[in-house]
Amino acid sequence: MLGESLGNYRIVSQVGEGGMGKVYRARDEVLQRDVAIKVLSSRTVAAKSSKDFLLEEARAVSALSHPNICTIHQVGEADGGLYIVMELIDGQPLSALIGKEGLPVESVLRYGVQIARALAHSHNRNIVHRDLKSANVMVTPEGLVKVLDFGLARRLRPEDLAESGQTIDKLEATVDSATESTGGLTGTLPYMPPEVLHGQEADHRGDIWALGVVLYEAACGKLPFHGRTAFETTSAILHEPPPALPSWVPGGLWAIVQKCLSKEVAQRYQRAGEVLAALEAVHSASVSAPAAPSAPAGPTTTVMRGVRHVGVKEGDVLLLVGTMKGAFLLHSNAQRSRWDVIGPAFHGNAIYSMAYDAREGRHRMWASTSAFWGTFLRCSDDFGKTWTNPLQGNVKFPEDCGTSLKNIWQVCLGPENNPETMYCGVEPAALFASRDAGETWSLVRGLFDHPHRPRWLPGNGGLALHTILLDPANDQRMYVAISAGGVYRTEDGGGTWQARNRGIRVMFQPDRYPEFGQCVHKMVLHPARPNRLFLQHHWGLYRSDDHADSWQNISNGVPSDFGFAMLMHPRDPDCVYIVPIESDEFRCTPDGRLRVYRTRNAGASWEPLARGLPQKGAYETVLRDAMNTDGLEPAGIYFGTRSGELFGSIDEGKNWKMILSGLPPIVCVKSVVVGEPRSARMAEAAHDERKSSARTKRASTRIKAKRGKR
Amino acid sequence: MAVLFCIPGPLRAFSGGLQQVEIKTSPATVRDALDALYRECPGIRDRLINEEGQLREHINIFVGDENIRQTGYFSTAVPPGVEISIIPAVSGG
Repeated sequence: MLGESLGNYRIVSQVGEGGMGKVYRARDEVLQRDVAIKVLSSRTVAAKSSKDFLLEEARAVSALSHPNICTIHQVGEADGGLYIVMELIDGQPLSALIGKEGLPVESVLRYGVQIARALAHSHNRNIVHRDLKSANVMVTPEGLVKVLDFGLARRLRPEDLAESGQTIDKLEATVDSATESTGGLTGTLPYMPPEVLHGQEADHRGDIWALGVVLYEAACGKLPFHGRTAFETTSAILHEPPPALPSWVPGGLWAIVQKCLSKEVAQRYQRAGEVLAALEAVHSASVSAPAAPSAPAGPTTTVMRGVRHVGVKEGDVLLLVGTMKGAFLLHSNAQRSRWDVIGPAFHGNAIYSMAYDAREGRHRMWASTSAFWGTFLRCSDDFGKTWTNPLQGNVKFPEDCGTSLKNIWQVCLGPENNPETMYCGVEPAALFASRDAGETWSLVRGLFDHPHRPRWLPGNGGLALHTILLDPANDQRMYVAISAGGVYRTEDGGGTWQARNRGIRVMFQPDRYPEFGQCVHKMVLHPARPNRLFLQHHWGLYRSDDHADSWQNISNGVPSDFGFAMLMHPRDPDCVYIVPIESDEFRCTPDGRLRVYRTRNAGASWEPLARGLPQKGAYETVLRDAMNTDGLEPAGIYFGTRSGELFGSIDEGKNWKMILSGLPPIVCVKSVVVGEPRSARMAEAAHDERKSSARTKRASTRIKAKRGKR
Repeated sequence: MAVLFCIPGPLRAFSGGLQQVEIKTSPATVRDALDALYRECPGIRDRLINEEGQLREHINIFVGDENIRQTGYFSTAVPPGVEISIIPAVSGG
């Protein structure tokens, strides 16, 4: 063909070969422009159906005029053959651009948006592509997408919309003939929707499925459904969910892909315009996404900012509220005077722990969800718009342990300088650690194999490890609190653990001061003074000034030394908040008065903070993880009650206001400032404290030196 | 002969949205049928079974109308063509 002419077109070179024929670069001698010409192969030209197909293609695509669709200029016939003259696109097929790890998320979204625009345009004109795949999407050097080869496109007349005429036999015949020259149908099969494999007519929602496949492929470099044989691929399309995309892919994109790939047609997006809107929302939210890492692939973080549905900005304040029946997210600006409420997420699940990880520029929320169907850790990178839903339990006891996970009571981030480390405390009492930012978890054997463990006893809420504290000055030292096992400390990063309960009195054993078995309800530590800890026991308030080696009772003047919640002030290491509860039987606030108590002298005395809180008939309980601070100045303090009321103070507890009522029983409250690592402010305070103690130390060294000179 | 699993709403996220999943391998027991179901829908396993391999406390599996807790648990025989239903138990909380 090279050098020959077709009408006004002189063939210059061959640029590709498609299912139905070869594609050439040609020169339009009249208009003096370069074009692409697809010429039907001589073998298929003999079949009338192929000729009809080519004409069909031309008719379909020539009706479309859109910047993301390859333009058809002309259809011609020469020597009994057919050819299509179309826009010459200088670029590469998307399939060639997708590497082994996929494209950067931003590119996936940018190309995806353009493909969705092309589909929306053609669907609005009742034209279904029916062969969308990455090889049919060209990308120019400027990043412009052009969808090609409506080779199987068929104009859907309105009356066809109600029909389902074409059978799988006809379709397979079509595909076979269309791909004869390339030797099989595997090039297209992985993009086929289940309904087509079931022999039904593909409508525009089949294109939405194929778009899901293309997005998936672009995001990770692999097809979502692929087997060694066509049978295996078919089986995967029909029966298997797509494997989860890698963690660097934002949850929002993964949710879009999953919806596109719903096996049930009715559960997919119903219009390409909907996919377009969803992709645009994720695209606009994604300010910067790191490129997919080179092998070995590890979890990375996608920075998400300005998610539209809650309009979250850096510096805003969020309250993560876990209840017995779902999670709620409250959003405010730094004024904290007005809150928007979103939820419930995880409808019907008990949410015992939530966390926010802003280390390394992440914006990742965590929730432990517990229902009849088990307990799972789930995370969201888009402020709760979408959450992961892992196929397998992510926190699991190894088989040899002879026990099963009942609940996750605490999700705890590792230190700032170790941003991939996380911990969680579970029931039955055990500690799990993750070294890959929550992707995988393993049991901390040093604690699980502790000889005391068989003698720990469950409290009313179960045998739970509910508190995990890290020592910011010593990355090998951490503390856990177990109800009812007591306080345990490790000095070697979790390898070995020692009971640290000396001085904590128990009322439920003949030996009032046992080595372990205490029913600790909550324990707190201030990073600025990590040798000091405060502890709310089943009965009794305690302080330790020696890394928990010994404890002193500090229940000085509180109406009851029973309680659950305990909160450290974000800056003042002498200031702690509690909510006294009348007794372990009544378990309500004394005298029906809801009062927070605060010490500002490390427990030497306590003062009630009740202004704005109900002081009559308020028989409330505040659970151990249901009080938190935002760390701002002045500190916002928030707590939730078992009767579903959420209170807040933006002046460190002087004045309180009800933020929300009518929630299910509140189990946990976490308050965070968007974009700030969990303990940034506390860490700053610790830094200042260390600097000041270093100054003191240097000064004292100088004094000693001077004395020495004397 | 095939058996049919009836998938409850909360698990359909893991069955591609399907309310029923057909197992064509002629399983002899509930254990065989479940293993085949897990191959089809891997997300379902850890929602039914805990780490010790026990059926979760508040989940019941019925072969026809019989609760497998009364008929031999996972060893319960599966007659050809039967429907196996996964149903959350009646319980408070």
